[in-house]
Amino acid sequence: MNEKLRRLLTPEGVRDLLPELAGQKRELEKRIQASFSRWGYGEVSTPAFEYSANFVDEMKAELTDKLYRFLDERGRTLVLRPDFTLPLARVVATHLAASPLPLRLCYGGDIYRYAHGQQGKQRVVTQAGVELIGSGCAGADAEVIALAVDVLLELGLAEFTFCLGHAGFLERMLTAYGVAAAERETIKFYFNNKDFVALKMLVQSLALSEKAKEAILRVPGLRGGKEILAEAAGLVPGGAADEPLRLLAEVWEVLADYGATKFITLDLGLVRMLDYYTGMVFEGYTGGLGYALCGGGRYDQLLGHFGPQRPAVGFAINVDHVLKVLQRGRELPAGSALAFVGYGKAQRAAAFAKAALLRQAGERVLVDVEERPQEAALAEGERLGAAKVVYLDGRAGNG
Amino acid sequence: MVNKDWLTVALAKGRMLPPALELFEKAGIGCGQLRETSRKLVFTVEEHKLRFILAKPMDIPTYVEYGVADLGVVGKDVLMEQEKELYELLDLKIGPCRLAVAQKCGGGKFNGGYVATKYPRVAERYFQGQGKQAEVIKLHGSIELAPLLNLADAIVDLVSTGKTLIEHHLEEIEVIAQITSRLVANPGSYQVKGVRVTDLLQRLEAVLTEGEATPC
Repeated sequence: MNEKLRRLLTPEGVRDLLPELAGQKRELEKRIQASFSRWGYGEVSTPAFEYSANFVDEMKAELTDKLYRFLDERGRTLVLRPDFTLPLARVVATHLAASPLPLRLCYGGDIYRYAHGQQGKQRVVTQAGVELIGSGCAGADAEVIALAVDVLLELGLAEFTFCLGHAGFLERMLTAYGVAAAERETIKFYFNNKDFVALKMLVQSLALSEKAKEAILRVPGLRGGKEILAEAAGLVPGGAADEPLRLLAEVWEVLADYGATKFITLDLGLVRMLDYYTGMVFEGYTGGLGYALCGGGRYDQLLGHFGPQRPAVGFAINVDHVLKVLQRGRELPAGSALAFVGYGKAQRAAAFAKAALLRQAGERVLVDVEERPQEAALAEGERLGAAKVVYLDGRAGNG
Repeated sequence: MVNKDWLTVALAKGRMLPPALELFEKAGIGCGQLRETSRKLVFTVEEHKLRFILAKPMDIPTYVEYGVADLGVVGKDVLMEQEKELYELLDLKIGPCRLAVAQKCGGGKFNGGYVATKYPRVAERYFQGQGKQAEVIKLHGSIELAPLLNLADAIVDLVSTGKTLIEHHLEEIEVIAQITSRLVANPGSYQVKGVRVTDLLQRLEAVLTEGEATPC
C-alpha cells in the first residue's frame, strides 16, 4: 500500500461520521440525555482515561484483555475507560459520598475496548446510561427498566423487547443440583452465547440425575410472562432459587404499574457475563439487529471496592446500535433544507442581515464568500445543494 | 419494518436441502413448493406465515446476522469458520459428517507443515491449539488434490464416508469436530419474535426426539 493512502485510513474498529449522520448521532444523544433529565437523573462526566488500578481489580479477565493501556510521564499505567459503571462508582464513593440516597446519575460518551475477530466490531462505542445508587428494592430495579423503555419509545423505536432475568437464578439452580464450579461457569458461558446445542451436549455428559438434566435443559424455554416464574420454582429443589424468583415477580408487579410489561419478556436463561451483576439483569433487543440495544442490571457489591458498600442498579444504551436501527428504518429526522444567500456589488451587509433573519427563523443558511453576478450566484447555490437561493442585487434592491 | 408475525428462514441450496425440507414437513410445515426445481429463491408459506430463502451455505450466517433472515439452517463447519454471534438453538442432525485432518497414506504423525483447506480459520485455530506450526493454504474445492500434487502435506476437510479420501490415497488422521446442520437465530429476532421462534423450535424438537427424522 502506498504511503499516502495509508495515512488516509483510520485504524481498525474506528470510523468517521460524515455531516448528516454525525449530526443525527449528536441529536440522538441529546434526546436520550433529555429523557434521563426528565426522570430527574443528573449528568456526570468523567475523564476518558484513569489509573488502571481503578479498573483492573474489579474486572473479569475477559474484559481486562480488551483494555487500552498506556503509560503517563511517570510510568504509571493508565487505561482508556472501558465502561462508565466503574468511573461512576468511583465518583459516588468520593465526591458524592455525602449526597442523600438514592442517588440518580446519568452519563454519555465513548468507551474503548479492543474488539477481536473479523466481524467489523467497533472499538470505540458511544454509550448513554444511568445508575440508581443506594436503593436495593424492586422499585429501583423496575424504575431503570421503565426508564430504558421510555427512552426507546421516545426515540421512535416501535418494535423492541426487553428480556429480564436474574444473575443468581442459574447459579443457585446449578449449585442446588451439585454441579461443580468449573462446569457452572461453562454452562453459564453457553447460556450467555445461547449455544443450546453445546449446552445440551455438556449437560447430557454430566453425572447428574435425569431430573436435574431435564430441569437445566428446560431453562432456555423459561421465557414469557409472569407465569413462567412458578414453573421455574418447581424446577429447583428445596426452594433454593425462591429469592431471585420472588424478586422478579415483584419487579414485574412494579413494571405493570408503569404500564411497561408489554415490552418485557422474562428470560431465566439470560446471563450477562460481567462478573459484577448480583441481581436482576436485562437486555433490550429489536427485530433483525444481532446485538442488544441496551443492557444492564443490579450490582450490589461493586461500590464497596471504592467506598461504603451500596446497592446500585443501572443500564447503558449503545447509541451506535440505536443509530443503526433508526438509520435502517429511515426514521432519523432529515436536516432542514439549506438556503443560499448571494449578493451583488455593495450588498454584502444587506446579505448578512438577510441571512441573520433567516437563521433566526430556524433555517440553515449559507452566505456566499464573495460578491458575484446573479447568474453565477444561482449556479453556486445549486452547486452547493441549496434548496432555495436568495440574491441581493445592487441595482434592483432585494432579490 | 418486518412484520412481527412472519418468520424468515434461510436454507442452504444443494444436498442439505431435501433433508431439511423433510424435517420441516414432518413438523407440519408444508414446503413442497421448495422441492420444485426452479430459479426462484424466495418462497412464502402463507398458512404458517413463513418465508424461506435459499442461499449458498457460506452466506447463510451472514443473512441471519444482518436480520434478512430470522433463522437459518447451516452446517456447524460453516459456523465454526465464521464465528458470528448467532444463537445456536438446535442440532437438526442433518448431514452428519466430521471435520478431519487427512494426509497421504502412510505419512506417519503429522507435526506441522502446509495444510490445504476450505476452512482456514478453523485449521489455524486447531493447529495452534495443538502447538503445531501449520501454514494454511485456502482453497475453494477439490481439496484432495493438494497433497497429491505436493501443494500441501495435509488437508482439513469434511469427511462423511471416507470414500473420497480412499480414492485419492489419503487417510484420516485426526477428527477436529463432529458436524451436523444447526438451527441458528439472529439474537434480535430470537427476542422480539420469541413466541414464533419457540413454537417452531418445539415443533422441530418434537420431530427429532421422536426419532422420525431420517438422517441422510
